This record gives sequence, C-alpha cells and structure tokens, in this order.
Amino acid sequence: MPFTPKPDAALLIVGHGSTENPDSSTPYFDHADEIRRRGLFGEVHCCFWKEEPSMREAGYMIDRDEVYVVPDFISEGYFTQDVIPRELHLEGPTTVKGGKTWHYTLPVGVHASMTGLLLRRAREVAPDADPALTTLFIVGHGTGLNQNSTKAVKDQADRIKASGAGYAEVLDAYMEEQPFIADWDKLATTPNVVVVPFFIADGLHSYQDIPVLLGIESEPGEAASQREVFRQNPHALRGKTLYYSSAIGTERLIADVILDQVSDFDAKYHDPR
Amino acid sequence: MILAERLSRAVADGVRRIGQIAILPDRAGVPFVLCHMDDEAGDFAALEVHEGPAAARGISTWAEDGHYRFTKGELSLRRGWRLHLASAEELLQALDAFYPANVGMHFAAVDGRLEIESLRDKLNRQTGMYRFARNLSDAGAQALVREVCGPGNCCVKKILWGLDAQTPLEDSEASRFDGVVGEIDRAAAIPLRCREACNHFVAEARKASKAEFERKAEA
Repeated sequence: MPFTPKPDAALLIVGHGSTENPDSSTPYFDHADEIRRRGLFGEVHCCFWKEEPSMREAGYMIDRDEVYVVPDFISEGYFTQDVIPRELHLEGPTTVKGGKTWHYTLPVGVHASMTGLLLRRAREVAPDADPALTTLFIVGHGTGLNQNSTKAVKDQADRIKASGAGYAEVLDAYMEEQPFIADWDKLATTPNVVVVPFFIADGLHSYQDIPVLLGIESEPGEAASQREVFRQNPHALRGKTLYYSSAIGTERLIADVILDQVSDFDAKYHDPR
Repeated sequence: MILAERLSRAVADGVRRIGQIAILPDRAGVPFVLCHMDDEAGDFAALEVHEGPAAARGISTWAEDGHYRFTKGELSLRRGWRLHLASAEELLQALDAFYPANVGMHFAAVDGRLEIESLRDKLNRQTGMYRFARNLSDAGAQALVREVCGPGNCCVKKILWGLDAQTPLEDSEASRFDGVVGEIDRAAAIPLRCREACNHFVAEARKASKAEFERKAEA
C-alpha cells in the first residue's frame, strides 16, 4: 500500500553510531536521504546514541509538532525498550511533551517486510547458487544478556523458510551465542552457503569480526570505508562455496521498512490519515 | 517561526560564520554558498563545487590527514570546497550535517529554552563498558576537561555544562572558549554549543576513571 505523505510531521530515525567508524552511521543517513528524496515527511532527521546529534539534541532540529520516532535497529531489546525511551523522554507509543506529539514505532528489524529484503540480498550475493543446494544463514550478534536479541533473527529465518524461496536450509546463527556462525561449515550440510549479516551497518561486527569467524580473513581488517579493494565472492573455504553479503541495513530499501513501521503504527494506534 | 526562516533572517541580518564555515548569501547567483572560512578570501573559483545539502556529510566526515572526525566540533574541517544551496531549508540541512543540531540549539539558547546536561547526568546514563566512566572523581573530571576540550585540544564548542548543578568547570582555556572560531564580530557568528559532554569525552572519562581505580588499587 502506498505511503500517505505526512507533510506536517517529522521523521526521526534513531541509530547507534560509533566514535570509531563512520560506516556505522552511513546507512541511517542513506535511509533518511531516500525518504527525504521521496518528499513523504515535512522533515527527516537522524540521531544517535554514540554520534552527534544525540537523542537529547535531536528535538532542537525539529519544527513540526508531530514526530515519528523509528528505531533503525534490528531487535527489540535494551536499546529500543530502555535507552531510546529514556533519552527521548518517551512514556509509551505516543507521548505529548514540550508542545510536540511523539510517536514511537517498533524497530525496523522486526517488521515482516524485512524478509523480502533479506531474500533479495541473498539472491543478489549468490545469483548462480542453486537454492536447493544452498544453506542461507541469517546472522545476528546474540548475547546471553537478552533473549530478545535473537528473536528478531529467528523470526526472519522462520519467515524465509515459510516463504517458499527454496533454500535447502535457512538457519539463524550468532557471533556470541549458540549456534555460533563460526561453526557454519558444520551447521550447513549443503555445498553452497550464503551468509547475510542481520545488522544495520557494515561496522565492526559485520565487516571486520564476522569475516574472521567465517575464516575469510585471519584477523580483523580495516573498516569498509578504508579499503581500496572490496571482497570478492565466492570464497572456497572448508570444502564449501561461501558467499558473504554486506549488512542488510546497507540496503537503501530499508527506507520502505521504516515507512512500513510508521504505517503499522498508524494502523494500530490512529485512525488512518 | 520555523527554523529555516529564522536562520535565513539571521543571515540576512549579517550572520556569516558557524564553526569553521563561512556562510555566503547570494554569491554568484546561488542563494547560499558555504565554504571553509580560510578559503573565503582565496581563489574562490578554484574551490571544488558541491551541490545540495547531502554533500555536507561527505565533506565533513574525514579530516585533511584522513582521520575520522567523530566529534563535529573538531577544528579539522578540510578546505578546498564550496557547497551550493538553493534555499534556507537546504542551508539548515547542510549546517545540521556539519554541526548537528547547532542551529536549533542556538535559537533555543537565544529564547532561553536550551536545556543543559551536567557531566554527572551524562556519565550516569552510560551503558555497557562505558558505565565505568561514572566513577571518575571530580578532580579527574576537571583535569579531563583541560586535556580533552577546548581549542587547544581541537574542539571549538562553547562548553555549557558543569560537573553537576552546583559545580561549575574550573577556569581554563576550554571552559572560557566562546564557541566562535577566528577574529570575527561575535554578532556575525552562530557559536558552537556543547550542551552535554560528547561521546569522545565519555570514552576518555572511562579511561581516566580506570586509571584512577588502578592507582588506588596499587596504593
């Protein structure tokens, strides 16, 4: 369904960001530029936990009285349930404060429309691999501290399995929690393996850490923006053919998922406008 | 009044500087042109032309020597470019990329509605490995401001915060700096404002706090 433009509302995209690596925030700015280009909101802004502008500074950039806050995060967890509401002083789905009305949507990673993007990315990275002979891994960070951090990854793997895309196996795996992506060759029984990092940015985890866990590289290399040569697929490793994609959040069409979260919010909490 | 209009009026009234950027209205048929303040008086035609506010992020991400400018108030904006902007809205968007939220914070300060966060507020809200930063002593925090902040350490924001509501920063070049770079009539500049300690300061506070802890453990 086409998105109904909201010229009287602002969109605030919230990301994590990094003091070490500018690649961490590039996708958020790309998503903002894409939505701005389509002219769907009166204003589009980004704010971050670890970069400028901070969440507390973001309000000073916004003119409109109605603000949609979309966490450009993969999972529901500590950041989306504790940090962002605390930093922006949000008290629920809708908060009225300082003369503005703030709507807080779910994070992009939990939306059903993310499934199509993951599949599209998997096909793009391995156009010649027959799905019937291929295992598709959706990889998250994972942490023993929060069960929700794996839920979004498992849910997407389940949706892809149910989609009829034809992959021999679709598995979720993690950097720091079982099943470990480092064991990809033991987890997969097929000759081809496609790995899509379910991260927003090609930052430290997806660009530098996971390639080491996969065995593509022996030690973390330079940041994506510091490299002159991009990695070439496929990789012949551990007796299999491995295809490794960039983080799903680098897909410009995440802009559509952001808009989907806004539409879902309106459908749930508002009369359609 | 919306921010872009207010900014446009401020420029019409003579504002020409923000951070290291010169704001040039109505230059060569373009409504607003931005360039590095040190390029304003040079060979303007030789500057590399960029169009539209989206280019601002690319210009401001890397310093001349190739390092990542993770704090935007860093005195390291590269030279050699000019950015053409077609409207006040584009001007605001570009300035928000160079100096995030600073224009809005400026007008909020003028209106008396800019909220300041003390260092303790900021450190007490840190998560994960940065949680340790909250243990930094007052003396350690005052010393860190002198070591990390201010033009001597390449940050040209005016610090508005204190350690807590009762404890201002001690006098230093960093705490005295007014947020305007170079010799220019202060009325013609929008100062850069630091309403909360930045994440670079938080990271340094963590290191200093750990060093204090280790010194105590050794004593």
